[in-house]
Amino acid sequence: MSQSSWSNPRFVFSRLLTIGWCGSVYLFLLLPLVVIAGASFHNASGYAVMVFPPEDPTIKWYLEISDQQYKALALSVGLGVLTAVVSCLLGVPAALGLIRSNIHAKGLLSVFFRIPLQIPSVVIGIAFLHFYYAVGRMTGWYATGTFLGLAIGHFFHATPYVIGTTAAILQRFDTRLEEAALSLGASRWRAFRRVTLPVIAPGIYAGALYSFMVSFGDVPISIFLTKPGFTTYPVELFFSMENEFDPSVLASATLVIVFSLGIMLIVQRIVGLDTLLESRGG
Amino acid sequence: MKARWGFFLIPPFVVTFILMAGSQYVFIKGSFYRDLGLGRIGDTLELANYVKFFSDSFYLHTLWLTIEVSALATIFTLIMGYPVAYVIARMRSRFAMIMLATIVISTFITIVIKVFGLIIIFAADGWLNRFLVGIGILDQPFTIIGSEAGVVVGLMHFSLGFGVLLLYSVVQTIPRSLEEAARVHGASRVKTFWRVVIPLSLPGVTIGGLMIFNMCMGAFTSAALLGGGRVFTLPVLIQRTVIMETKYSMGGTIAAILVVSVLLINLLSILILKRMRATRYVIV
Repeated sequence: MSQSSWSNPRFVFSRLLTIGWCGSVYLFLLLPLVVIAGASFHNASGYAVMVFPPEDPTIKWYLEISDQQYKALALSVGLGVLTAVVSCLLGVPAALGLIRSNIHAKGLLSVFFRIPLQIPSVVIGIAFLHFYYAVGRMTGWYATGTFLGLAIGHFFHATPYVIGTTAAILQRFDTRLEEAALSLGASRWRAFRRVTLPVIAPGIYAGALYSFMVSFGDVPISIFLTKPGFTTYPVELFFSMENEFDPSVLASATLVIVFSLGIMLIVQRIVGLDTLLESRGG
Repeated sequence: MKARWGFFLIPPFVVTFILMAGSQYVFIKGSFYRDLGLGRIGDTLELANYVKFFSDSFYLHTLWLTIEVSALATIFTLIMGYPVAYVIARMRSRFAMIMLATIVISTFITIVIKVFGLIIIFAADGWLNRFLVGIGILDQPFTIIGSEAGVVVGLMHFSLGFGVLLLYSVVQTIPRSLEEAARVHGASRVKTFWRVVIPLSLPGVTIGGLMIFNMCMGAFTSAALLGGGRVFTLPVLIQRTVIMETKYSMGGTIAAILVVSVLLINLLSILILKRMRATRYVIV
């Protein structure tokens, strides 16, 4: 192909255009993260003291991360874990029912289970706020500003992701494998646990990762359901950006980026990128 | 004995149904009580809040602005994302996987942190401005934070990663052989792209575009922070109305209007999808 050579100016031009275009998209997506990490090592306070490479690098901001931020981080991690667990407990049976049962309303039901993805998060937040007040007026127990109240809002939003990832794998599952196990004398539970579960496990892990991340990074739902002194990390960060600026936030944000990357690397090792991609978006 | 898989649906259905129906019913009903401010509401169901929304130019402007910035962000996301998705989908090396993984990873980092980075870059005394003023392109610092352009950039950041993944799956459904056929018959690379690839991906791009548009309509964090308290979209206004003005039922009204607009857009997308399928059958 003589056209595809570096001596052809049109080929060179189109190559450079392609590389430039993709490069700018990736720069736009990734530069904000690099800037935060870079600025967190810079030894001067203020918003814009981002110099690359950081002059006079320091780790002092990492030592100044407040207890309030650590508390918020701990709350976010706990909330994310609980959300992932509950989403799996609800989502995996739902996926099994949706793929394997032969009831008529299956199509309608799968649409129903996806509704939480269609409602904007802010609306889920305000709806649960109203809901908790209404329940509180009836029972005297107000779920706003409690761990449980936050968790309910989060797993409501996150469950469809688990259903999506698990259903995607179940759809490909050859049920004859399970039948073989059954005909060889395995009990129904044993066949499920030893044959089906290992096959769909990547889907469940991927779903758990999605729901953890959805919960861990959420602002619009949590902002309605937290209260001063009891906030998740993203909400804490949100308010600190709206109000006064504290450079130690750069340090904790960098820690969160590294933490998120670590989790994703681990999950990707376990389930593979294909599973993550296939089930993207629930 | 055939297992009754249908029974597995009952617990998740009951939980989701109670939470969905309960919360949606309560807030929609609440939106019909007149808001008296300071957390107090009237005691009869009426349309007062809705009348207020549709007769107040501030609210109407906010609705229009939300649609406008979401549409702009969607268009820019499609324009920026499509070539990248196309390049990744047609790449034959392992590098494609790395490019995809990078996008997936970037979509997983919480948007607050990404917006934080954007603000550092775009702030008036920020990195970009110092650089541009330093090399003499700008006379004085210029910032998009607190402007509609800033909100568009924020929404794009929110939707671009998702958009690339979506468009990637659209391009993947187009057989490579069709492009090769066009090339063999003498079409140039550019012509093949415009006459073969683009038309074939149009239905997918349309639906993807509507999904991105929905996402932007509901986006809170990026719009709130890059709007800088000066530009209000509906999600930002909902949070302000509830948290700052403690107008719970008015917040509910705005939320209900937001959901209905998003719903209308979804119906529109289904309609367009059907029409496109119909025409495609005619062509094929």
